[in-house]
Amino acid sequence: MTATAPSSGVRSTPLRLTLILLAIFAVAALGCLAVAYSVTRADIDATLEEQLGQTIRDYGSIRGAEELSERLAEAAANTDPEVRILHYLPDRGSPISNVDGFPAVGGLTVVADTAIAADSGDLSESYLALGARVGAGQLIVAQSREQVVEMRETFLGVLFMGLLPALVIAGLAGWWVARTASGRIEAIDAVLRDLTGGILSARVGGLDGRADDLSGIAHSVNRMADAQETLVSSMRQISSDIAHDLRTPIQRVAVVLDRMRTQTTLAEGQETLLDRAKDETDRIVRTFQSLLQLSQIEGGAVRDRLRPVDLLEVARDVVDLFAAEAEDRGFSLTLGASDRAGCLVRGDHQLLSQIISNLIQNSLTHVPGGGPIEVVVACAQGRVELVVSDRGPGIPPDERDKVLRRLYRLEQSRTTQGNGLGLSLVAAICALHGAELTLGGDASGLTVTVAFPAPAVRP
Amino acid sequence: MKILVIEDDAATGAYIADGLREEGHSVDLIADGADGLVRATVGTYDAMVIDRMLPGLDGMSLVRTLRATKNTTPVLFLTSLGGVDDRIEGLNAGGDDYLVKPFAFGELSARIAAIARRPRAEAEPTILKVADLEMDLLHRRVTRAGQAIDLLPREFALLEHLLRRKGRVQTRTMLMEAVWDIHYDPLTNVVDTHISRLRGKVDKPFGTELIETVRGSGYRIRAP
Repeated sequence: MTATAPSSGVRSTPLRLTLILLAIFAVAALGCLAVAYSVTRADIDATLEEQLGQTIRDYGSIRGAEELSERLAEAAANTDPEVRILHYLPDRGSPISNVDGFPAVGGLTVVADTAIAADSGDLSESYLALGARVGAGQLIVAQSREQVVEMRETFLGVLFMGLLPALVIAGLAGWWVARTASGRIEAIDAVLRDLTGGILSARVGGLDGRADDLSGIAHSVNRMADAQETLVSSMRQISSDIAHDLRTPIQRVAVVLDRMRTQTTLAEGQETLLDRAKDETDRIVRTFQSLLQLSQIEGGAVRDRLRPVDLLEVARDVVDLFAAEAEDRGFSLTLGASDRAGCLVRGDHQLLSQIISNLIQNSLTHVPGGGPIEVVVACAQGRVELVVSDRGPGIPPDERDKVLRRLYRLEQSRTTQGNGLGLSLVAAICALHGAELTLGGDASGLTVTVAFPAPAVRP
Repeated sequence: MKILVIEDDAATGAYIADGLREEGHSVDLIADGADGLVRATVGTYDAMVIDRMLPGLDGMSLVRTLRATKNTTPVLFLTSLGGVDDRIEGLNAGGDDYLVKPFAFGELSARIAAIARRPRAEAEPTILKVADLEMDLLHRRVTRAGQAIDLLPREFALLEHLLRRKGRVQTRTMLMEAVWDIHYDPLTNVVDTHISRLRGKVDKPFGTELIETVRGSGYRIRAP
């Protein structure tokens, strides 16, 4: 009857919002990390560059080749090549260096350890080197970029040990929050569906202490349901009050008619008049009865009384009851079954019986001149079908919805018996049983199909 | 029989009481639920007719209270509600039968007769006999004046129901409930057709009518 919208997966609003937030958070965090890394790295490189320039300038300010050589040799001997490399290639004479070989470098250059020749001592992974002419030779000073390497490792550490777990935690928390929210939305949705389906006692639960927007909506739904329930129950009260107030006077009329009929001597023709008056009061009562029953069924009054019933057995009783009269009126009423063992449906025995009775009577009333009326009970593939078909004039397709409305009658049937409630009652009983009612056939016959969901097997 | 009628509508109450008295019963008529409970408790009745809606104490509570005190007097509920649940509710409360207003007196009278206490037959009979009609329940055979009568299963059930209650009126709705298990008003007199077919087999060929129509009520097997 109602379309069910699954609020799972990305179609769930809370879950989608969580995923979007998570993505924004991840992009922002990664961006911040990248900017911090490049700024810090530039800063370290600038400091190194400054130190290199200063060293070159210091050595350049030394006058006299002797002193320069001495100072360089002393420095080279005392400097750990892992921290700083001094490499002096004089125009004449042997190089002064704390490594065995260093590539020729002009301006500022990053040099990896693989390009440097060193027999003894450890080297750093990478150096920032600056070469310049000092005195009568080429001086290269290379400062270890250990700091930069360490910093990169630190940043990677931050990324893997901090940011990723944070994302995972945020993701899990978000998923949980989203699922909770989805659950609450689904609960509200289920209650709304119950309310539409006539279960007026349905309420959204678990609202204690919560004060968010979802609770607000839930409270509103509950208030609406309260109002609806009050309205319906007062309507029912009014109905039963009317029932009581009208039935009693009708009962009195029936009493008076009965007494006149049995206790007084009547003239010719008066008996017939009295009988007609009696018939009319009966009609009033029956219409009234049907309307009352209709509103009670639509209110879901007997919903909790439904239990497994053999539809075939019910059909046997009804078909048997009507068969004799049908035959007398030129019809042949037959019962067919897919399975002689019967077909179980979850329902109310008397109401199911009434569906079949009303459909048979509908055919008896609206098919002129008789003909076959077939009642078939078939069960297969989790469904139980009741089909009642005749060879009458049928119901035009555009009238099919209308005949299910209460008191509606087709133009051609205005003169026949009936109060226009039979099919409405059938529709209401079908809805109560979760059964699908289809009016089919064409101008050469009406086929009414009632498809019940098969009940879960219960011993 | 001694019958207690608890009905607040004066006209209906008088109608029931007068009708039952005419049939030779002794009737106490009470209009209030609380008074009714007192009378039902102190008096000894063969049957009670109780309206569901009463001033003082409603009919359902009245009967529940009675049943709680182990009072088993048969009760026929009258109702002006006529809802889908009323019959079940009434029976659950301890009522024995149920009648929706407006009703014909014949219906009420027949139903009271059906629920009222009567001495039990010593043994379940295997042969039901009325005049020259015999029904053998064991062999599911019916004969009249020695001649076998061929009945459909439901016709057999209908005749058996009437024979077991010979002399007592069975209304159309009572027959529909007992033989076809139909407890709502099917809005037609389909039972009449079945009775006329049964008569065609049981009565017509033999001249004398055993299945009798009771005007305004129903049918019964003529008591011998």
